[in-house]
Amino acid sequence: MQAETAINLFVKKTGGWVASQLEACTRCGLCATACHYYEATGKPEFAPVWKVELLRRAYEQRFTLVGKAKVAMGIEKPISDDDIKEWSVYDFHGCSMCNKCSFVCPMGIDIASLIGAVRAGITAAGEAPAGLVKKTEVQLATGSPNGATREDYAAWFARTSKEMGKELPVDKKGAHTLLLLTNLEIAGFPNNLVAIAKILDAAKIDWTLSLEARDAFNMGTIIGNGKAMKQLADKVYNTAVDLGVKRVLVSCCGHGYTTLRDKLPNVMGKPLPFEVQHIAELMGVLVRDGKIKLQEGYFANGHTYTFHDSCKIQRAGGIMDEPRLVLRQLAGDSFHEMLPNRKEAICCGGGGGLRAIPEAYDIRMAAFGLKVDQIKKAGADTVVTTCSNCRLQFKEGFEHYKLDTQVTGLAELMSQAIVE
Amino acid sequence: MDWNAFLAFTRGPLFYASLLIFIAGMVYRLVQVAMLGWDKDQSVARGSKAGGVVKSFLKGILILPFIPWIKGAFQKRPIMYIAGGLFHLGLFTVIFLGTPHMLVWKSLLGFGWPTLALPFVDWLAVAAIIGMLVLIVYRRTDAVLRLLSGPAEYLNWLFVFLPMISGYIMTHHLFFRYEVAYSLHMLSVDWMLIWIPFSRISHFMFYFFSRTIRGVEWGKRAVTP
Amino acid sequence: MAEKSVYEHLKSEGVSRREFLKACGVLVGAMGMNKLPPVADSNLPPHLARGAKVIYQVAEALENKPRVPVIWLEFQDCAGCSEALTRSQSPTLVDLVLKQISIEYHETLTAAAGHQTEANKQAIMEQYRGQYLLVVEGSIPLGADGAYCTVGGRSAEDILREAADGAAAIIATGNCAAFGGLPMANPNPTDAKGVMDILTDKTVVNIPGCPAIPEATTGTIAHFLVFGTLPELDDLNRPKTFYGVTVHDRCLRRPFYEAGKFAKSFDDEGAKKGWCLYKLGCKGPTTYNACASIKWDGGTSFPIQSGHPCLGCSEPGFWDGGGFYQGQSAPLQRPAIGAVGAATAVGVVVGAGMAAANKAQKKG
Repeated sequence: MQAETAINLFVKKTGGWVASQLEACTRCGLCATACHYYEATGKPEFAPVWKVELLRRAYEQRFTLVGKAKVAMGIEKPISDDDIKEWSVYDFHGCSMCNKCSFVCPMGIDIASLIGAVRAGITAAGEAPAGLVKKTEVQLATGSPNGATREDYAAWFARTSKEMGKELPVDKKGAHTLLLLTNLEIAGFPNNLVAIAKILDAAKIDWTLSLEARDAFNMGTIIGNGKAMKQLADKVYNTAVDLGVKRVLVSCCGHGYTTLRDKLPNVMGKPLPFEVQHIAELMGVLVRDGKIKLQEGYFANGHTYTFHDSCKIQRAGGIMDEPRLVLRQLAGDSFHEMLPNRKEAICCGGGGGLRAIPEAYDIRMAAFGLKVDQIKKAGADTVVTTCSNCRLQFKEGFEHYKLDTQVTGLAELMSQAIVE
Repeated sequence: MDWNAFLAFTRGPLFYASLLIFIAGMVYRLVQVAMLGWDKDQSVARGSKAGGVVKSFLKGILILPFIPWIKGAFQKRPIMYIAGGLFHLGLFTVIFLGTPHMLVWKSLLGFGWPTLALPFVDWLAVAAIIGMLVLIVYRRTDAVLRLLSGPAEYLNWLFVFLPMISGYIMTHHLFFRYEVAYSLHMLSVDWMLIWIPFSRISHFMFYFFSRTIRGVEWGKRAVTP
Repeated sequence: MAEKSVYEHLKSEGVSRREFLKACGVLVGAMGMNKLPPVADSNLPPHLARGAKVIYQVAEALENKPRVPVIWLEFQDCAGCSEALTRSQSPTLVDLVLKQISIEYHETLTAAAGHQTEANKQAIMEQYRGQYLLVVEGSIPLGADGAYCTVGGRSAEDILREAADGAAAIIATGNCAAFGGLPMANPNPTDAKGVMDILTDKTVVNIPGCPAIPEATTGTIAHFLVFGTLPELDDLNRPKTFYGVTVHDRCLRRPFYEAGKFAKSFDDEGAKKGWCLYKLGCKGPTTYNACASIKWDGGTSFPIQSGHPCLGCSEPGFWDGGGFYQGQSAPLQRPAIGAVGAATAVGVVVGAGMAAANKAQKKG
């Protein structure tokens, strides 16, 4: 019984936190206006509240008198296996867990977290999209969702060391900061490592890479598999504790950052012995505190830039001022904001594991269309982002829409403008 | 039919019973959720959780309801925001600042407060009723809302609408004799009181949960909730 | 003595034709009989002719009809309704009805007393069987086999039934006679009842009030005298003429209600300015009576005008209808702390039970 498995998981996940928010929902449907997948497709089933429907039904039917009465009277049906299959589409193909909807919700319900619980149930029932299941298995086996192994990372580190003309620190005990990269960088933009290494060196930070904890990516978070999430995060935790670092610095992965910062302590049941920081925040702090001097207006060179607020780093991470501080220094007046921006920004459309679901390609490209409009309105020819996943979505999206707009990472821009 | 006798019944024993059912039901809902277990958040906060809660309520109660157009999503459904806003504004004004309702509170709580002039309350009541009509039209025509709406949603609407419209009819002495309209008003109110704990109209209680959670979650991230 | 017509009787008492017609006009007004069909042969425009014609119609009736004997019974009452009648400031009308219609039996007003009076009553009831008018004041106790109220050793119910048997019409004046009134208020120790609850097989005209408005009582009696029929009644058997609209509808403070201007206490600025007394417990909106239009003491004033909220005394069970000084919207009972506590406890127990069961589910 798939449904039974899912319902049991829903039941397990439903404490006061979930229940009170489910009870608060008035079913006003306003969250739909926030959802880029709903906007792009016009499918009412993609309304965020509908994605939570399974969790609500499970909660009411198992936990409340009204829910039991509704089932008894036949007004509402118990969750069936078909429902699980159906909602797999809504919650995986049609949601990037960007949580913009929670900012629209008049009741302020943290909708994405509830959708996360639904995802977990669907995954437990074995109805998660095949692409994601595969990637999860691969990451559990090799350490990275794309199958990048320890050797691949070692080769990348060696290559980069050679490029930079200096040996990068790897698994250096007692270092202050552990830099956590992602497999996306190996595949898409390996130069990010060079850029970050330059920034960290310029700021005279005692840092290290690790071949143990290589990848900030966490398929367990994305697919909603608590065990896998813990197993993957544990690797980072153990390595950080072994090396005795004070800080784990996430290079560019959005959900990896929030997983380590917000989820891991709660899985461990105690606060972490180290700080978790995203490079986007660090860059801003370094510039603000004068640890790094930038050549002002280095990129005010005829290009126009805009900054994409990613869901996990900016909205959920709260790191919105710092990257802008850096970008203003670098690009000056050629930096234009998209509208809406900051915490109300629209998702790129590729988050939440959607890039790993081939069936969702059309949906996520349709959603990206909204982003394209914004970029055009902002009049930008280059999009700057701090999230590796967004960056790849932009790259694919621009190709899909046949645009010559460029996308780049903030660290790469900044590293070029450092005044020695 | 002796409507004055029926009125005495709806104002007396029936209201009494409904009120007790309402109290028992709401306490049940509250306790059922509150005692379901709460996990302690172990993550490190970037910002102030308490500050987030304060901002969350300021925004939720004082700012957004009155100037919803500062919200990005407003442009997408302005009518719904305005209709919903007017409904709640009218509802709260009528319930708390309408003289007859203040007297209800006074008789229950033992103290009263100043109220607004009837014409003012009256206009807001009209706004609330129109707001409700707009909302039901929206609910029937919008694809998302149609998908979301089952019998419970329509009944919720009806059981809130009946007290409002009967109250209006009663205040203006329309169609029925006063005690008939009054009886119907009380009957619908009594039924609504019984219905609330078993429906989503109880969101007014859980609003404080969700807004607090929101404040904590986003205050922690140093993002304005 | 009842053979003379009303007019003849009045004439012998020194009432001029002019005064007689004036009295007829007052009656017409009191009975609200301005709705008879207009008269074709008048040279006046219809709306003017109508009123004048009705007066003549009434005058004609009173000139020709024999006087009607009235038997006035008092049970659990305070004689307030009789008092109100005798002290009414509409002397012509009241004279007309009280003195000139022969009241053959009235415990408070009759000079004679004891067996003599009772014997006289019996004689009248026999002589005018089927013709006399029965007016009842006060409620009838059924408790303790009627022992709570006896006259000459007979229970109120017994007396009432006997008198009602030969009556041409029965009028219950005052809230006690109409609906049980004060004696019936909680906990109703004497098991008091109104007349219509006892004489279920007869039409009883109710003139409720505490006391009943004298003009309403006399007007109704006059209607019977003039037309020989009872006036049109509402569903509580009250003449629509006097009980057709609420006190609120005709209230002189109504504009303040509409404007939302309320007196909040009996000595505040609002009270001094004559604002609406709704907040001070006025029951005007649900009270059907003519107080606000006929008023009292010859149209001098009525409670609301003189600054006191309406108590709703013409409505059934007004004594138990919530506090007199509590706004009408307030519920009749305030839940006791114990009841609220019990309801809360039920909620807590069920809620905690559900929560515990649900937590067990989470573990399972």
